Amino acid sequence: MIITRPTSVEAALEELADENSLAVGGGTSIGLMVKNRLIEPERLVSLNGIAALHGIEERGEGGFRLGAMTTLHELIHSPIVTASLPSLAFAAARVGNPRVRSVASIGGAIIHGDPRQDLPPVLLSLDAIAHVVGPRGGREIPLAEFFLGFMESAAEEDELVTQVTVPLRTGQRATYTRFTPGSEDDYPTVGVAVAGNLDNEGVITGAKIALGGVDATAILAHEAAEMLVGQRPSEGLFAEAAAVAAAAANPSDDQRGSEEYKRAMVAVWTRRSLARCLAL
Amino acid sequence: MMQLEIMLNGEPLSAEIASDALLVDVLRLNGFTGTKEGCGVGVCGVCTVLVNDLPVASCITLAALVEGSQIWTVEGLTAKDENLLNAFVEKEGMQCGICTPGQVVSCYALGLENPKANEEEIREYMSGNLCRCTGYVTITESVRQYLASK
Ligand SMILES: Cc1cc2nc3c(=O)[nH]c(=O)nc-3n(C[C@H](O)[C@H](O)[C@H](O)COP(=O)(O)OP(=O)(O)OC[C@H]3O[C@@H](n4cnc5c(N)ncnc54)[C@H](O)[C@@H]3O)c2cc1C
Ligand code: FES
Ligand code: FES
Repeated sequence: MIITRPTSVEAALEELADENSLAVGGGTSIGLMVKNRLIEPERLVSLNGIAALHGIEERGEGGFRLGAMTTLHELIHSPIVTASLPSLAFAAARVGNPRVRSVASIGGAIIHGDPRQDLPPVLLSLDAIAHVVGPRGGREIPLAEFFLGFMESAAEEDELVTQVTVPLRTGQRATYTRFTPGSEDDYPTVGVAVAGNLDNEGVITGAKIALGGVDATAILAHEAAEMLVGQRPSEGLFAEAAAVAAAAANPSDDQRGSEEYKRAMVAVWTRRSLARCLAL
Repeated sequence: MMQLEIMLNGEPLSAEIASDALLVDVLRLNGFTGTKEGCGVGVCGVCTVLVNDLPVASCITLAALVEGSQIWTVEGLTAKDENLLNAFVEKEGMQCGICTPGQVVSCYALGLENPKANEEEIREYMSGNLCRCTGYVTITESVRQYLASK
């Protein structure tokens, strides 16, 4: 194995054109997989030296730009993210432990594709867009179309995520709740991200509910979210929507709970999250 | 094999390493055995070192990825700041000592990141460093004493 450190996106793409090459962001997943011989790439292409992949920017009407190599630590400490994207800052601060957050990147977090991860549901709820470039050019992929299956995304192996953008939604409220019955440092059994707006009369004008840990990928509970639109917030409404969200979940049995338990927990934590996020 | 150049505890280190060598092994083979491998999967915190002032798990860090970085281990940090070890000695922040190098490095890292951390923030930050002996009370007290010395 060799490790290279290109300093431009173009140079990195040239190296990734070789099918035995693999990009490395923060390396928290790759390090473990190489160590345990789950993967044996011939070449690891470190993205850390590519300045264009770093940086957090607020672009007015253009929303927010998060370079793919932005670390979770940078998200947590960014005044822009804490002020304008608080559910993302909150989720980033709860990933694993400080050692993971020091280096793990937002690009790696969306490509890794483990359904229990914390950032994917939050980014789904915020209508984030992945910007991908490769030998066939560049594409913008809404995250709603990005997660295709377990550890499988819409970005090909010879492509790079260059940035994640989040549209500006004035007045949006957003929360993330992670339910970790074992230990706080564990992956969540269920993660619930909610985002939405209320008008001056207190009517919900838009809502997104995204769930982590309860399907092969993070998912949007479309039907549950749509039930909320045009309604005034109430405990009854939130309970009904939460039941619909639970029906949309497709969890599997593992050490974090049985299928039935996880589905029940989706209902509980979605109801509570809706109340936290959207109550008057 | 490849050549790795880093700054280790403030001194240049040049070492010939396998390209898939882990940072924890490179440190130990070069005599810095304060850093230890426990769980080996990034969870327990025993292998914590600082890379460019941030804590990382050296057990899952490919050494080649930290080329050119400033690395500090428990040996260097305790030599640099005597309040660090004193806090753990005076508050008895250890029993068997297995987790201690990682606790000490994480304590230092918290001092860099949030020197005014309150009790809850200390507990939250240090929760990534597991200890099977102390029950964490004396470790938390050690961290509090260290932060107060800053
Ligand atoms: C101990 C431990 C605990 C963890 N706990 C949690 C947790 O509680 N919650 C959680 O959400 N996650 C957790 N994780 C997983 C962590 O979130 C992911 O490992 C991390 O976000 C991946 O980011 P990275 O930059 O380190 O990715 P890497 O390991 O560098 O890469 C991961 C994948 O993404 C690809 N990749 C990386 N960057 C790019 C890019 N810009 N373009 C294209 N491909 C790219 C790589 O080729 C690889 O396939 C944990 C990991 C560890 C080791
Ligand atoms: S040995 Fe590295 S975290 Fe446990
Ligand atoms: S002192 Fe024994 S594990 Fe912490």
